Amino acid sequence: MKHAVTIAVEVTAVEQVTPLIKHFTLAPIAGGTMPAFSGGSHIIVVMRRANRVHRNPYSLMSPPGRLEAYEISVRRMEESRGGSHFMHDEVGVGSQLEIAHPVNLFGLDKIARKHVLIAGGIGITPFMAQLQDLHAANVPYEMHYSVRAPEHAAFRDQLIEQEGDRLRMYYDSANELIDFEALLGSQPLGTHVYVCGPAGMIERVIGTARACGWSDSHIHWEQFSAPPVGDAFDAFLARSKLKIHVLPDQSLLESIEAAGVDVPYLCRGGVCGFCHTKVVELEGELIHNDHFLSAEEKASGKFMMPCVSRARCKNLVLDL
Amino acid sequence: MLVTGIKSKPVYAPLQADTAGRYHLMLGHGVGGAPLLSLLDELGRSGPLSAGRACVLYVADSAAADNFGVRFRTSASDVRFFDRVAELLAEFRTILTGSFMGTRLYVAGPESFIGLAMKIALEFDLNKDEIRAEECGTLARRVYCIHCRATTEQVRTNIVKCIDCGRHLIVRDHYSRRFAAYMGVMVDAEVPGELPPIKENFV
Repeated sequence: MKHAVTIAVEVTAVEQVTPLIKHFTLAPIAGGTMPAFSGGSHIIVVMRRANRVHRNPYSLMSPPGRLEAYEISVRRMEESRGGSHFMHDEVGVGSQLEIAHPVNLFGLDKIARKHVLIAGGIGITPFMAQLQDLHAANVPYEMHYSVRAPEHAAFRDQLIEQEGDRLRMYYDSANELIDFEALLGSQPLGTHVYVCGPAGMIERVIGTARACGWSDSHIHWEQFSAPPVGDAFDAFLARSKLKIHVLPDQSLLESIEAAGVDVPYLCRGGVCGFCHTKVVELEGELIHNDHFLSAEEKASGKFMMPCVSRARCKNLVLDL
Repeated sequence: MLVTGIKSKPVYAPLQADTAGRYHLMLGHGVGGAPLLSLLDELGRSGPLSAGRACVLYVADSAAADNFGVRFRTSASDVRFFDRVAELLAEFRTILTGSFMGTRLYVAGPESFIGLAMKIALEFDLNKDEIRAEECGTLARRVYCIHCRATTEQVRTNIVKCIDCGRHLIVRDHYSRRFAAYMGVMVDAEVPGELPPIKENFV
């Protein structure tokens, strides 16, 4: 499968919104408008460096009705493989980038009777567009936003003004923690909870909701894992008859793409399941880092998600 | 026209407790009392069935010669009996209005009863993974006339005369959760009066 054609964009504004987060406005170089999207959607930004291509997912933050330009925020990651540092250090007003069309893996439930939104840090990004969708809908909602300290709370002033008492802020610096048991223990029937933030927060929300009797169809979460760095390894692509070498800070998917083989993907963060790949032969072990495969599937050693997962092996043959 | 083998026809299964739930709401009609009693037994093994944990709403019917009333009262503390299905459903709606996430719904009885309960559950965004239903009792169907939009109740035959417009309708397996009814389509539109053999399919 060939990927959808990318859209060429130019950076028309850059704003440092917190010490670690930069906000970018991306307008189409060809003019006209961007494709329509719904709150919770993300795009893949393609960053071409001298010897590497990064493709990172970022949530769209601009109001879904406004299509002259898209807005994204990028947090500088300490252990970046290069993507977030590239956006922070090498991209400025006038820079040209390519992006893939928006995809929504974190949409609001259309028949929910109430929405509870929970963000931790940079996890606020998908909610910025969702809140705009919610302003147009006549459904109650509440937004809970937890950050390290006030200076790290991206878009705080805008959110306070826009959301009023539907927003509650929590600052780690003031020892304010979200009481998940209280929050999820007495929500009316038909409530949906959405969480985006650090892995620990997502696990706590899912665990607490289940303990309060919530069924999984009412629990929504999004966490794009950055592909973890690991040891270099080799793989063989059976159908393409190509041998590839995966560098320590390169993902298996990136290495496959560098060899000229296309693998379908939507999120590149271990969530969507599109790059699901059959393992034909394996001598060694797979290091699964995705949130898509079940524990049984991971243990079987028969499948892997090359966007975030790696291997420690003598021999790995993939059905590609 | 496809009459059977349609995917929207609901599939039911014997009731089993979902102990992940915090509040268990059970609706029964007629012989549906039996699976609810087994369910109460099963749930009771994981903890006492206090009023805050389980509630039974039940309508007897003449076909079920039952002593369910007594047996329900000894099984759970919050049991409510009704003379008519409509009264039970009104109480069901009131309960859902004040219920919280963590509720599980169990329905046992004829399909028309299950359908009417599901229709209300849908308004409260109760999803498949929060509802379990066991069909028992009559297979008589609610049939929605796609021409005049009237619903004919207690249909036992493959062909039925619409209660409102009088058209002869063939009863399809095409089921609407929103109407809690099967679709009925005029069967003699081409040659008026020419009907296929009438059979009692839903008894």
